[in-house]
Amino acid sequence: MFFTRNKKKNAALNEFDQVVEGNSLSKDAWKRLRKNKAAVVGMVIVIVYSLLAAFAMFLPIYPYDQIILDHQHLRPSLTKTAGDLMMENKLKDLYFKAWRAGTLVVTDAQSKQIETWIADNETNNVWDFCYTEGQKQLAAGTFTFSDADQRTIDRLQEKINTEFLIEVDKMYYTDPDTGKTKNIARMDFEQIKQIYADYLGVDVAVIAQQSDQEIRNQVLNKVKAATPGLSTEEYEANLELELQSMGDKGIATLGKSNMLVSIKTAISRSIERGLKQEIKDGTAKFPVNRTVVVNEKISAAITADLKHTRHYYLGTDYSGRDMLSRIIYGGQVSIAIGLVGTITSVLIGIVLGAIAGYAGGKIDFFLMRLVDIMYGLPYMLLVIIFMAIFGRNIMNLFVALAIVSWLTVARMVRGQVMSLKNSEYVEAARSMGASTWRIIFRHMVPNSLSVIIVYSTLRVPAFIMQESFLSFLGLGVQAPYASWGSLVGDAVNGMTLYPWKLIFPALAMTIFLFAMNFFGDGLRDAFDPQSKNQL
Amino acid sequence: MSTNKIPLLEVKDLKQHFPITSGSILQKQVGAIRAVDGISFDVYPGETLGIVGESGCGKSTTVRSISQLYKPTSGTVKFNGVDLVKADHRTMLKARRDIQMIFQDPYASLDPRMTVRSIIAEPMVIYNNRKLLEKPMSSIEIERRVEELMERVGLNKAFKNRYPHEFSGGQRQRIGIARALALNPKIILADEPVSALDVSIQSQILNLLSDLQKEFGLTYIFIAHDLAVIQHISTRVAVMYLGKIVEVSEAVQLYDNPLHPYTIALLSAAPIPDPQIERERKRIILTGDVPSPDKERNGCYFYDRCPKKMPWCSCHIPPMFKMNDKQEVACWLYDQTDHSKTTMEEAQADAAKVQN
Repeated sequence: MFFTRNKKKNAALNEFDQVVEGNSLSKDAWKRLRKNKAAVVGMVIVIVYSLLAAFAMFLPIYPYDQIILDHQHLRPSLTKTAGDLMMENKLKDLYFKAWRAGTLVVTDAQSKQIETWIADNETNNVWDFCYTEGQKQLAAGTFTFSDADQRTIDRLQEKINTEFLIEVDKMYYTDPDTGKTKNIARMDFEQIKQIYADYLGVDVAVIAQQSDQEIRNQVLNKVKAATPGLSTEEYEANLELELQSMGDKGIATLGKSNMLVSIKTAISRSIERGLKQEIKDGTAKFPVNRTVVVNEKISAAITADLKHTRHYYLGTDYSGRDMLSRIIYGGQVSIAIGLVGTITSVLIGIVLGAIAGYAGGKIDFFLMRLVDIMYGLPYMLLVIIFMAIFGRNIMNLFVALAIVSWLTVARMVRGQVMSLKNSEYVEAARSMGASTWRIIFRHMVPNSLSVIIVYSTLRVPAFIMQESFLSFLGLGVQAPYASWGSLVGDAVNGMTLYPWKLIFPALAMTIFLFAMNFFGDGLRDAFDPQSKNQL
Repeated sequence: MSTNKIPLLEVKDLKQHFPITSGSILQKQVGAIRAVDGISFDVYPGETLGIVGESGCGKSTTVRSISQLYKPTSGTVKFNGVDLVKADHRTMLKARRDIQMIFQDPYASLDPRMTVRSIIAEPMVIYNNRKLLEKPMSSIEIERRVEELMERVGLNKAFKNRYPHEFSGGQRQRIGIARALALNPKIILADEPVSALDVSIQSQILNLLSDLQKEFGLTYIFIAHDLAVIQHISTRVAVMYLGKIVEVSEAVQLYDNPLHPYTIALLSAAPIPDPQIERERKRIILTGDVPSPDKERNGCYFYDRCPKKMPWCSCHIPPMFKMNDKQEVACWLYDQTDHSKTTMEEAQADAAKVQN
């Protein structure tokens, strides 16, 4: 703490001409931590996870909330595209039906085996067997699909080859008089209305009226959601009040964003038509990344790619969302809850516990009775009531978990502080004129760190678990957002059929918690000068 | 010798009572432990005042009250003309820069999570942050001063990054001494600084303390219950019993000619390291235990156990009688008037008269 880097070479201090730099507990702790391999690995893993979660939006992964129903429950694969897997699933189904119908001929022993699998509910085995057997026989020419099946397969192949997704990134408007090109998103509401009306070929008044109606409906829904159970007249009155409070500017902003969505939809529809034609002609090359001229006034920068060439390295969930990106985005919520919850609860606990322990007397009495009362109340109930009152969003979840979880920390710190309060080094510090805060944060807290650190590393998994429990009850993270807890919760149904949905989030969570525990252990040892990791 | 000098520290009628309370929320005081019950003494620059007494007689409480670790119940502690008891916090802190303490247990008085340099630098950092130093110190100056202090108390300054548990008891006590010296104090309150050390180390520490005294002109208040240690280091000695000073005298005088019956008994308890003399030594065995200090007393504090008690002593608190320039004693035996003939009734009547 007294060490300055700009200091030149120091004079040698001992008989061996060694220069000894000044040091303090935190620097020693860092040195000791670096010596502890497990803790370093843990720390690196925790940091990597946190960075991945923090910068998830910049990663080249599919959107975590994009639902593609064709891609439901695709298994994880490093090499096969979504299309291949869709085809594989279809074929599995078809071969199985063929076996049922008797067209796929297998030996009696194999048939018996399949019957047992079905009886034992081991569906995956049945499908895998039928698929390998069918492919074998198809190649050998001993089995052919019926015409109807073949048609289904061809249709699917056609779909896989041609379906694509369009993303309209930017839209431009070229003024026919001046020839200037502008980004439509940067223009104001009136201009956008005009452009949209021109595009549709209708009068501006019609568009304006539609837009007004849309805004009124949106605001009315919001009012209804906020205060349920009022009569129609009251809603009308509230709606007018709400619209007034939004002001012209607020209304224009809302209208503009609505209008932009409408234009985007219209444009992407027209581009889609064009692209389909190109595919038919065989001129289309995916991925497409270009600027398309919609008409003489409007153009748009688009990206388009075949829908079924995606790779899902960790599989997909029940609505065809990419598990990899869901796990990464879920980590955002889970890690944030684990770390933020722990840090806030530990901070509140340390401050209140130290005050109670150090001040003693009435302050201690009232703080500890408060803790007792909070302990007495059912803890989950408190969180649930809090969430119900203040609304269900992630910020409130943080607050709700933090306000009820500082109790144990406060008790522990209080006990430590009380036992350290009368020690001679605290008395020595007081005789040197140290302030109460200095004594608490320079002497007492470092000396109780080992308990605090161990406890807080144990808290992190507890928070993640509590969050998943709340999500399960429908109070935590709501779809389409994900958290590790909710991913695991969703995956429990059908875990024999789709084990990857359970394994990957659980694995991600386990690795993180392991790393967290090793890191915590390392921290505890590092802050203890008498630990075995001597320098 | 010291009467013509101005005292550095004046303690007047210092009382330190600890309340005994009962009840959990509505606490009410039901009594008080009179740890220190009205003591007065002066300390002159450059001397060492030894305080002796058996366990629980209030020696440590006295120094803690002087350094304002406990807020005294009443009385004044004047240091360099500043009354520490009534002064506001900042003035008190400023005055207390010159009063530093050395603690008894070198294992407990150093924070186990701080390096030696942080420990020794702490008083400087605190006073620097509070802007109470005459001249603010930079971090490099503090670092240099730490090294200088370590060298001065006989520690290798290359050890400054070590933690207290890596040192022996004697070395730790040196760290404690270095910390006490950091702010260049005028007076050091040493609370049994050697009683936790073994004998050979004790003498090293005592020699270090007297060297430092000569070098920096320090004044010590030195607590010990080892009479030999006190004799070695003190210029004057105060004998305490049950929160009262019973005798103050020059060290040589006290050991040659103890006056108070308690001092005589205390000195007779010290073993003599010569088997022949030791065998013939007369010991005065006091009867009974030290009474509990939770009662208010109106007679001599030593009355219950005194071998020479008189009825008069039971209801009159003895003042300090000045025997000569070197010795003061609180015992009715040394009053001008002879109280030995007074009966209990007369004594009580006299006490009642004085009270009214």
